[in-house]
Amino acid sequence: MKEVVYLSELEKIARLSKLGFSAEELQSFLRDINDIVAHFEKLNQLDLQDVSPTSHLGGGEPPFFSDEPQAWEGSEEVLKGAPWVAGGYFIVPRIVDKEEKENEDRRI
Amino acid sequence: MKIEEFKDFTIQDYHHLLEEKKISPLELVNIFLERIEEGEDKIHAFLFVNEEKAKNEAREKTDNWPEELPPLWGLPVAIKDNICTQGMPTTCGSKMLENFVSPYDATVVERLKAAGAIILGKTNMDEFAMGSSTENSTFGPTHNPLDLRRTPGGSSGGSAASVCALEAPCALGSDTGGSVRQPAAFCGVVGLRPTYGRVPRYGVVGLASSLDQAGPITRKVEDAITILEVISGKDSRDSTCAPYPPFSRNEIPSLEDIRKIKVGVPREYFSSRVEKVIGEKIQEALGKLKGEGVELVEVSLPHTDYALEAYYIVASAEASSNLARYDGVMYGLRVEGEDLQDMYFETRTLGFGKEVKRRIILGTYSLSSGHYDEYYLKSMKVRTLVRKDFEEALKQCNLLITPTTPSFPFFLGEETQDLYERYTDDIFTIPSALAGLPSLSLNCGYEGGLPVGLQIIGGPFEEGKLLGLALWLEKLLALPSPFPELKEGRGQ
Repeated sequence: MKEVVYLSELEKIARLSKLGFSAEELQSFLRDINDIVAHFEKLNQLDLQDVSPTSHLGGGEPPFFSDEPQAWEGSEEVLKGAPWVAGGYFIVPRIVDKEEKENEDRRI
Repeated sequence: MKIEEFKDFTIQDYHHLLEEKKISPLELVNIFLERIEEGEDKIHAFLFVNEEKAKNEAREKTDNWPEELPPLWGLPVAIKDNICTQGMPTTCGSKMLENFVSPYDATVVERLKAAGAIILGKTNMDEFAMGSSTENSTFGPTHNPLDLRRTPGGSSGGSAASVCALEAPCALGSDTGGSVRQPAAFCGVVGLRPTYGRVPRYGVVGLASSLDQAGPITRKVEDAITILEVISGKDSRDSTCAPYPPFSRNEIPSLEDIRKIKVGVPREYFSSRVEKVIGEKIQEALGKLKGEGVELVEVSLPHTDYALEAYYIVASAEASSNLARYDGVMYGLRVEGEDLQDMYFETRTLGFGKEVKRRIILGTYSLSSGHYDEYYLKSMKVRTLVRKDFEEALKQCNLLITPTTPSFPFFLGEETQDLYERYTDDIFTIPSALAGLPSLSLNCGYEGGLPVGLQIIGGPFEEGKLLGLALWLEKLLALPSPFPELKEGRGQ
C-alpha cells in the first residue's frame, strides 16, 4: 500500500489533536489511517473544478435571532458537573506563573 | 396486563387504554421496568434505567389524571445516551462522559415530556455515535434481541434493541449517516431520519453538525408519525432548524393519492454488494406495490459510489472539531497532568476510545493546512453532486425505495480484514444523509429469523408522502411485530 501519511505527520496531527500514543499505537494508527486515506483517493476520479461545495443544507441563509440576554437558573447545576470549581469558577492547572517565569528566563 | 399483550400496540392504543383508565401510568411503567429486568442481562440495551424517577413521575400522573390527555401522556420512552436528559447521565457511550449528568433537557426531550412522556432510561450506543454495531461503546455491546449472537446495528443499537425486545414502546435515536435506520433494519423495527432541519438538534451531543438528526425508532410506522409530530418544528436555540411548524399527520396524502405515487428504484443500490436474499425481499415488496398499481421507474444516482468517502471525510472533520471541547475543564473526565497542556493530553488520551481517536486524527488531518483542498473541500463538492443526483431522480418519481443495508446483522466480535470494509455497512444510508433527505427503514421480511430493512427516501420536508407510503406498505406486508424470546441463537 502506498504510504500517503508519514509517521512524522501523524505525530504532528496527534499533537494538534491533543492525543497521546505509544510507539506501538502510532504504528497501528499509521496503518489504519493510510488504509482509509487510500480509499479517499477515489475522489480524484471526479472532475470537481466547476462544482460548488455544499457546506450547509436547507434553503437560503440560516435564520438570525436577536441577541437578547435571558435569565438562566442552571449555573449551579453546570458547575456540579465540573471536575474542579471554586467560587463559581472552573479551576485549571496554574499557567500564569509559569509563563511569567519563562518570560523572565528569556530576558535573562 | 402482561407485556406480550402489547406486542402489536401502537402509541395510540396505549393512549386509548389510558383514556379509558384501563391501565394507569404507574402500571404501564412497572410492566416495562419488569421487561427490562427480564431482558437486560441478555440484551444490554440500556446504560441507565431511570427506575426511581420514572416510577415517581408515573405515580404523580396516576394521582393527577387530567380530563384530556396530551398525546404521549403516561407513555414510557427510551432515549439514546447522546441526547441530554436533565438529571440523568448522558455518557455518549464514552469514558469521557461516564459521570456526566445533563443539567438541561434537549429540545426533543423537553417536547416529549411536555406531551406527557415518561423517560424510561438511556440507551447504549457506539462511543460518540461512531460505529454501526454498538461494539464501540465503552460500556460493552448491545445484543440483537432477534439473535443474541449478533449486533443490533448502531450507533443507536440500544434504542433499536429496546424497541425490538419491547423493553420500551418507542425510543429516540440519532442519525448522522444511518444510525437510526441501520439498527432499525437489523432489529426489524421502524427507524425514521427526518429531513435535516426538521427536528431541533439543541441538546443532541454533536458528532457531525451538518449531518446529525434525531429521529424516532418505533414498532409501527404510525408511531413514527406520532413522535415526529411531537419533536419536530422550529427552535430558536438551533439556527439550523428550519423555521417551519411541527410536522402534522394532515400532511399525509390520502390512500387514493398514495396509490398514484411514482416510486423510483435506483439501480446503484441493487449491485452485487447486496446480499442476494436482501435484494429479493426488496423486489418482493416492490412487486406488492406494483400489484396494487403503483408505477415503478428505474432511476440512477450516479455518484452513490463516492458518497461513502465524502461522508467519512466530512463527518470526521466535523467530529474532530466538535470533540475538541472535551478537555477536562468544564465537565466530564479530567486526568491531572503537570500543566494545562499535559492535562488536555492525559484526559483525551484516557477518555476517548480507539475509533473516536481514529476519526479525530482523520478529521484533523483532512482539515489541516495542505490537505484541506485535497480532502475536505473535495468532499463538500461531492456532497453537492450527491444532492443533485437525488434532485434529478426525484424529478422522475416521488419517492425512492432501496435496501437499508447490504447485509444481515453481523456477529458480535466478527473480525474484518479491512477496516474500511466495516464502514461500507452504511453505504445505503449515507447518501440521503449527505443530501439531508428524510429516509425511513421498515422491515420487509425475515430470512432465517433475521429481518430485512427496506428504505424509503423522499424529497426535503416531504415526510408526509414518505410516511403515507410506509403506512400503506406496512399494511400490505402484514408482518408480525418482533417479540423475541431472548434465547441464545436465532428466533423471533
